[in-house]
Amino acid sequence: MTIELDQREDGELIGIILQAAGRGDFETMARTASEVSEMTRNWATHIPWDDLAALDGADGELARVVEDLTEMWEPAHLRNPVDPDEEYALDKNAYDFYRPAGRNLLTRTEDFYDWVQARRRTETWQYSRVLEAAPDSVAQITNDLGRRARGINFNSQDYLSFNTHPAIREAAARAMHDYGPHSAGSPMVLGNTRISDDLEAALGDLVGLDHVTLFPTGWAAGFGAVVGLVRQSDHILIDRLAHSCLQQGARAATRNVVRYEHLNVEAVRRHLTEIRATDSRNGILVVTDGLFSVDADWPDLVTLQRVCREHDATLLVDVAHDLGSMGPGGTGVLGMQGLLGEVDIVMGAFSKTFCSNGGFVASRSPALKQYVKMFGGSHFFSNALSPVQTAVVREAARIIRSPEGDVLRDRLFTAIHALRDELTGRGLTCMGEPSPIVPLLIGNEKLARTANRLLFDRGVLAFMVEFPVTPTGSSRFRLQVQAGHRPEEAREAARIIEGALADSRAYLSSAFGSAPR
Amino acid sequence: MQMYDAIVIGARCAGASTALLLARQGHRVLVVDRASFPSDVISTHFLWPHGMSYLNRWGLLDEVLAVTPAHTTVEVVNDGIRLSGSVPPELLREYFRDLHGDDSGVVQSYASVRRRVLDQILVDAAAGAGAEVRTNVTVRELIVEDGQVVGIRGRGVDGEPVEERARIVVGADGRNSFVARALDLPKYDERPRCTFAYWSYWSGFDLGPAQLHRRGRLACAVVPTNFDQNMVLVWGPSEWSREFRADVPGNYQKALDFVSPELGEVVRLKGTRQERIYGTLDQSAFLRPLHGPGWVLVGDAESAKDQCTAIGMTHAFRDAELVSAALDGWLRGTASIDEAMTGYESRRRSQNAAAYHDYVCTLAEMRPYRHDELQLFVALRGNQQETDRFIATHADVAPVSEFFQASNLFLLNDAAKESSADHPVFADFAETSRMYQQNLFA
Repeated sequence: MTIELDQREDGELIGIILQAAGRGDFETMARTASEVSEMTRNWATHIPWDDLAALDGADGELARVVEDLTEMWEPAHLRNPVDPDEEYALDKNAYDFYRPAGRNLLTRTEDFYDWVQARRRTETWQYSRVLEAAPDSVAQITNDLGRRARGINFNSQDYLSFNTHPAIREAAARAMHDYGPHSAGSPMVLGNTRISDDLEAALGDLVGLDHVTLFPTGWAAGFGAVVGLVRQSDHILIDRLAHSCLQQGARAATRNVVRYEHLNVEAVRRHLTEIRATDSRNGILVVTDGLFSVDADWPDLVTLQRVCREHDATLLVDVAHDLGSMGPGGTGVLGMQGLLGEVDIVMGAFSKTFCSNGGFVASRSPALKQYVKMFGGSHFFSNALSPVQTAVVREAARIIRSPEGDVLRDRLFTAIHALRDELTGRGLTCMGEPSPIVPLLIGNEKLARTANRLLFDRGVLAFMVEFPVTPTGSSRFRLQVQAGHRPEEAREAARIIEGALADSRAYLSSAFGSAPR
Repeated sequence: MQMYDAIVIGARCAGASTALLLARQGHRVLVVDRASFPSDVISTHFLWPHGMSYLNRWGLLDEVLAVTPAHTTVEVVNDGIRLSGSVPPELLREYFRDLHGDDSGVVQSYASVRRRVLDQILVDAAAGAGAEVRTNVTVRELIVEDGQVVGIRGRGVDGEPVEERARIVVGADGRNSFVARALDLPKYDERPRCTFAYWSYWSGFDLGPAQLHRRGRLACAVVPTNFDQNMVLVWGPSEWSREFRADVPGNYQKALDFVSPELGEVVRLKGTRQERIYGTLDQSAFLRPLHGPGWVLVGDAESAKDQCTAIGMTHAFRDAELVSAALDGWLRGTASIDEAMTGYESRRRSQNAAAYHDYVCTLAEMRPYRHDELQLFVALRGNQQETDRFIATHADVAPVSEFFQASNLFLLNDAAKESSADHPVFADFAETSRMYQQNLFA
C-alpha cells in the first residue's frame, strides 16, 4: 500500500485552498487539491477536486465550493450560535443530576438548579404550575413565570369528576362542621373518627377484603406496606414500572430487590424458582400495579397470584388508578379479572377517583393489618387523614357503588374513546388500553418539551412526563380523562395537540415524530 | 435502453450491500461509484457485533476475518474507570428479531476493517451476486420525468457519457450525497456540535482488543486493524480544532499522553507510524428525508452522525437490509411502493432511533463527564451483566430507554460494589472539572 507519511494534513490543505480562493488564485487551488488524500477525496465527493482550476466564478460555482470547503474546515456551530439556555434546557435529562459532586450538600444542588432555571426561562419546565380556580373539565392555571392560561383540562386526576359533585362537597362541609379541619393525631393515638371505621368497611366491601388500614397519603400506604412487612433478608420482585412509593419502599426494606420486566409473569415465575432454590426460609413480596399510570396497561393478576401461591410468595397490587374508575361496579382491574377478595394485599390511593388525599392497605388478615399499622412508619408516625378527607372518600365510595357510579363511568369511557380515537386517527400513538389514563407517546424529549411549551397557550392542559417517570427517549403526554369531559372537548383537545406537535417538529426541524419503538 | 430494477449510487458500505442483497433477491441492479476499488475513505472502519453479524448473514464474514483481527471484548476507560465487556448475544438476537424479524447469523465479535479491504469485498460480492458494478462513474444528473426520478446521467472513466434508467434510484453516496443535493433535500435534526478526529496507522505493538479512553473533553482509541497495524484515533470538541490544527503531529501525541499516559508511551516508544495523519471535523449530525418519488436514501446519505460511537458502517448495513427487504416486496408486487417505504421509514424513524440519535449527538459535544455519570461507571464495575448492557446500549444494539430508566439506575446504585474512593478523579472533582474546560492546545 502507498505510504504517504510526509504529506501535509488535509485540513491544512483545505485551509490553503480557501485562502487561494479568496485571492482568486485558481492555480494554487488546483495544485493544492492534488495533494488532498484519497480518504478525503472519496468522502468529500461534492468538491470538484480535479476541476478547481477550471472554476471561473460563473453561476456562483466558486462561492458554492468555498462554502462546502468552509463546512469541512470550520466548526459549524461557531458560525451559527444558538440560544445556550434553550440548548441546555432541551438537551439534558434529570438523570444527569442524580449524583451530584462535592461534600457540601447545599452548594452541590446548584448545577441542577441552573438547569431548572434554563428550562423555566425557555418555558419548557412542565412542573409546579398552579390552579387559579377549582379544576373541572376546563381549568385556569398559571405557570411559574406567572403566565396564565385556560384550557381543556387533562392534567387533573379526578376521573369521576367528584371535585364538582354536590354530594361530595356536602359531605366535606358536614364533616367540617361536625369534626373541624384537623385529625389531631396519629391513627394509632386519637387521629381516627367514627367515619374512619365506616370508610374502612366501605373500602373492604369494594375490594372484597375485610381488613383495611387507612394512610394519610397513597404514597405512605405503598411505602408503609412494603417497609412494614419486608425485612433485610426477605426478597422483593417488583415490576420495573411499579409506582415510585413501592420502588422506594423496596429499596428501603432490603437489598434483595429484583425489578422484573414490565408485566412479565413468566419472568416472575423464573425469579421465584431461582430464589426458592436457594432460600426456603425468607419471605418474598411480589409487587405490581393494577393499572400502570404511565403505560396504561395491566398485568395478568390471575396467573400472577397463582404463581405467587405456588412459591409461597405474597402478592401486593396497587390499585390507585383503576379502583373506582373502571371495572364492574368500580371494582377496577381486580373486578375485571374476577379477583375480588382473592389477592393477598391490595393497596390504593384516594387521589385519583376518590377526590381526596390518602390511601389504604387491605388484606384478609387482621394480623397483617395490625402489623402494618405498627411497623409501617408512615402509618404510626403520621397524622391520620383529616375528617373532611375521610368523609369525602366515604361519600365517593358510596357513589362509586351506586347506579350513578355506573353512569359516571360510562361518561368517562365515552370521553376516553373519543380522545383515543381522535389521536389515533391523526396518526399519533396512544399507549396501553382504554382507561382514564391516555398516554400519548412522543419519545424524543426535545419534541415533547417544545410541544408542551406550545400547548400552554393553545387551550389544552396536558402533563408531559419524562425521566424519571419514563425511561429516557420515551417521553409522553399523560392525559387524564374525567367523566365531565364531553366527547367533543376530547376531540378538540386531540386536534390541538396534533397541531402543537406538528409545529414543534417544524420548530426543531425534526424528522422524528410520535413513533413506536 | 436497458432498464434496471434499481440503480444504486455509491458502492461502499450502504450501496454495495444494498446492491448485493437486491441482486441476490433476483433483481436487476446497477451500482455505480466515482471511485475505483480498492480505495480508502474517511471512516472509523469499526464494525460492532451487529455489523459483523450482517456480514455473516450475507456470507462475507469469513473473507473479512481471513485478513482482519477480531475480538469479543472491548475496554472502555472513562477518567481512569475501566470497564470491560461484550455485547451480549441474547441482546443481539433480540435486535435482529425486532428490526428484521429473523435472528440468524448472529456473532459476538467486532473488528476494524480498512475500507480498502472491506469495500472491495462488498463490491466483489455485489458483482458476484449478479449486480452490474461500474466504477469511475461520476453521476452528474438525476433524470426526472413527471416529478419522478427515473434514472441517471453522468460520465465514465474516459469521459464517455453514461445514461441509465431504473424503477428506483438508491442514494447510497454518503453524507455529502449527490442524490440529496440534486433533489435539494432539507436536513433535519441537525446537531452542529461534533468532534474533531485525527488518526493514523501504527505498527510495532499489539495491545489486544480495542481500547477506548476518555478523559475530560478528549478521547482516544487504539484498535487493531489490517496489515498488522493499529488505528490510533484521538478526538475532542470541534471548538478546540483550530488550536489542534496548529501542530497536528505534536497535538496528536499530546492528546494521547493526556487521555492515557500509558497509551501515549506505547505509541511514542514502540510505535512506527505507517501513514500520514488524517483528520476531519465535518461530522455534525443530521437526517434527510428517506424517500420520495423514484428515490430512496440509505446510510450516511440519510442519517449522518459523529464518529464518537463508530456506528456508521454498522448502520449502513442495517439500512441495506431494511431497504432491500422493503424494495424486494415492492419489486415483486407484494407491496405498494408506499407500503414498502412506510415500513422502511417506521424503523428508521422509530422512538429508539430518535433516542440513539440524541445519545450520539450529546456524546459528540464532548462535555466533561459529570460526577453522576462517572459514578454510574463506578457502579457498573463488578456488574458484568449491566456493563455488557451498557456497551450494547452505546453500540445501538439495546434501546437507550431500557438502560436509562429510573428503576435500572436505582438498581445499579443499590448493587454497586465499589465506591468512588478508589478512583482518583473524584478526589478534587470540582478542580479537575475546571481544568478539563481549558483548551489543552491553546
